[in-house]
Amino acid sequence: MNEMVDMMVEFGGMGLANPVFTASGTCGYADELAEFMDVNALGGFVTKSVTLKPRKGNLRPRIVETNAGMLNAIGLANVGLEKFIEEKLPVLRGRSAAVFVNVAGERIEEYVAVVERLANEEPIAGFELNISCPNVKRGGITFGTDAGQVKEITSAVKKASGGKCLMVKLTPNVTDISVTAKAAVEGGADALSLVNTFTAMVIDIESRKCVLANRTGGLSGPAIRPIAVYMVNKVYTEVAKDAGVPILGGGGIRTASDAIEFMIAGASAVSVGTASFIEPGCAVKIIEGIKKYCERHDISKVSELVGTLK
Amino acid sequence: MTEQAAKTKGKFSASVSFNRQIKPRYWRLGLEFSGEGAVAFGGTRPGQFAELDLSGAAVPAEKAIPEDLRDAAKREVLLRRPFSFAKVESKKGKTHVDILYCVLGPATLRMTTLGHGDVVSVIGPLGNGYKAAEGEKRAILVAGGMGAPPMQHMAQELTAEYPTMDVIAFGGAKSVDDLPFETRPDQILKELGFYLREFAEYGIQSMVATDDGSAGFAGTVTDCLADWLGRNEVNANETVIYACGPEQMLAAVAEIAKERHIDCQVSMERLMACGIGVCQSCVVECKCDGDTEYKLCCKDGPVFDAKEVVF
Ligand SMILES: Cc1cc2nc3c(=O)[nH]c(=O)nc-3n(C[C@H](O)[C@H](O)[C@H](O)COP(=O)(O)OP(=O)(O)OC[C@H]3O[C@@H](n4cnc5c(N)ncnc54)[C@H](O)[C@@H]3O)c2cc1C
Ligand SMILES: Cc1cc2nc3c(=O)[nH]c(=O)nc-3n(C[C@H](O)[C@H](O)[C@H](O)COP(=O)(O)O)c2cc1C
Ligand code: FES
Repeated sequence: MNEMVDMMVEFGGMGLANPVFTASGTCGYADELAEFMDVNALGGFVTKSVTLKPRKGNLRPRIVETNAGMLNAIGLANVGLEKFIEEKLPVLRGRSAAVFVNVAGERIEEYVAVVERLANEEPIAGFELNISCPNVKRGGITFGTDAGQVKEITSAVKKASGGKCLMVKLTPNVTDISVTAKAAVEGGADALSLVNTFTAMVIDIESRKCVLANRTGGLSGPAIRPIAVYMVNKVYTEVAKDAGVPILGGGGIRTASDAIEFMIAGASAVSVGTASFIEPGCAVKIIEGIKKYCERHDISKVSELVGTLK
Repeated sequence: MTEQAAKTKGKFSASVSFNRQIKPRYWRLGLEFSGEGAVAFGGTRPGQFAELDLSGAAVPAEKAIPEDLRDAAKREVLLRRPFSFAKVESKKGKTHVDILYCVLGPATLRMTTLGHGDVVSVIGPLGNGYKAAEGEKRAILVAGGMGAPPMQHMAQELTAEYPTMDVIAFGGAKSVDDLPFETRPDQILKELGFYLREFAEYGIQSMVATDDGSAGFAGTVTDCLADWLGRNEVNANETVIYACGPEQMLAAVAEIAKERHIDCQVSMERLMACGIGVCQSCVVECKCDGDTEYKLCCKDGPVFDAKEVVF
């Protein structure tokens, strides 16, 4: 039996205390969480998407629950770059978890401007590019569904990132996720994050209208987990493993068992999103659960688990 | 670290002390907190709320499910559900809270199967709550349908904190069966009186309105309020209206308050994924320097100054 399991993982050029992250948009900027979770116990923390200018977001209703999941169409509501620096960044200072700022925009220049401005901010370990946004210059085609655009935006942001870890968050709403994963790697991504939410719709049969004001929303939660596991495994075997690029895997993780599944599939680290709404401290509990699993299986380093699918 | 200090909010376990049906669609659930939970919930202000995890509660037997909820009963519950309180009492190191709930869908259906001793995971107390002001001489409580619980809690709080304050309550619903009060229909009068036990126990007179006229004033609770205000002298400077109910009703109450220059606080309802201010799902459009901005119902609310809200 191993008395001590080494929970450290190598991730995009840095060492993380453990492989568990919270997912963007589900834990805010960490400032509301003090009573519910010890953010310092996490391996990584990803902020809500930050855009150059403040965004009010979509009309409501912005969420709806479905079986084993939920749809959200928040519309990237956030305080904007300046207020983020003023009000939110100080709260993130001194965290032992690696802080990733999730960046979104409608033009490549907006992404670049946000990353450039934050590239020298000490509390930030890296960036997660949310490319599930419509590119206004390209008639609203989502950046993340077009390999050419994925490569272009990744390399543009990479140049601005001041050597900080650049993680590209892939959308699952594509025919072959390995194609966009490969494009991100070619563009210089230090890590890949997958998956974002699946585009979905819920209809109110009484009014025959969409429940969400935005009509469509992104499906997250336990319902998407098996698809997300498949996609992580596909990207790992077809792209990431050979390229030596780590994957932050997630989608529907609620328990340590769920997280371990992703690691076996090829994720170096895992992200917990929707489950935090139900159990705000569950990401921290998952760390403990992974440790216990390793002890039970006589695994001395958690990273030995990664990509061990037989 | 923060774990050591007394928590003002957090995630706690509560045990069910009772759960009884009071009307075809309304139930009253008693929860008991001990330890840290008793301290945190002991400080609950009226209008604050809690997020309950009901995903593990059993679905009622098919025959106990109202016909119109049979499909809803098949839905799983993932997210917690927000509920405010009808009453909060601390004694002997425990805090007892009453939740008054309406059976509407999968979570509240499951709630009906909770029994004495069952344990429920509760996050709270959350949100801001109503604010009573010094110098306020009269409080008017207006409860529309499911908006009754925080008004009952407010009645409890105001009479305890401001014994000389003149408090009256208005309660309304579509029909007599939908009134979330434990009152026999034949006791309800057309005027102010002590017939709603939930208010009478604090010495507060109330008035009932039903849209269909099946009990009390025939019309909406806001019509009833306007009618009463028209017949009684009210000093606007020393009066505050506290309201909770459907948004349309709140808008009507806000209008009445505005016309008469009476301060008014309304409690808003929104679908909530997190309840703690991190997900941005629960926005309330508020006026702000000639423009509007979104505030969060769960964190900046659920209670707002009626003048601030864009209905
Ligand atoms: C701050 C706050 C305090 C509340 N206090 C109470 C209370 O004391 N007693 C009580 O019975 N209920 C209260 N509610 C409402 C309660 O949370 C919902 O009725 C409950 O979530 C319904 O869950 P369900 O799964 O049974 O039904 P669902 O199927 O989730 O909902 C049934 C119907 O109600 C609508 N609905 C659900 N939640 C809301 C909401 N938050 N705002 C507007 N419409 C909604 C749905 O769209 C649907 O049409 C409160 C809500 C909030 C935001
Ligand atoms: C309410 C909500 C808001 C979200 N906001 C963002 C966001 O701002 N940026 C982003 O990249 N992903 C966002 N996501 C996606 C999550 O980060 C995550 O990728 C997704 O929900 C799948 O994981 P899960 O099933 O564990 O939630 C959001 C998800 C939810 C449910
Ligand atoms: S419910 Fe999540 S921010 Fe209000």
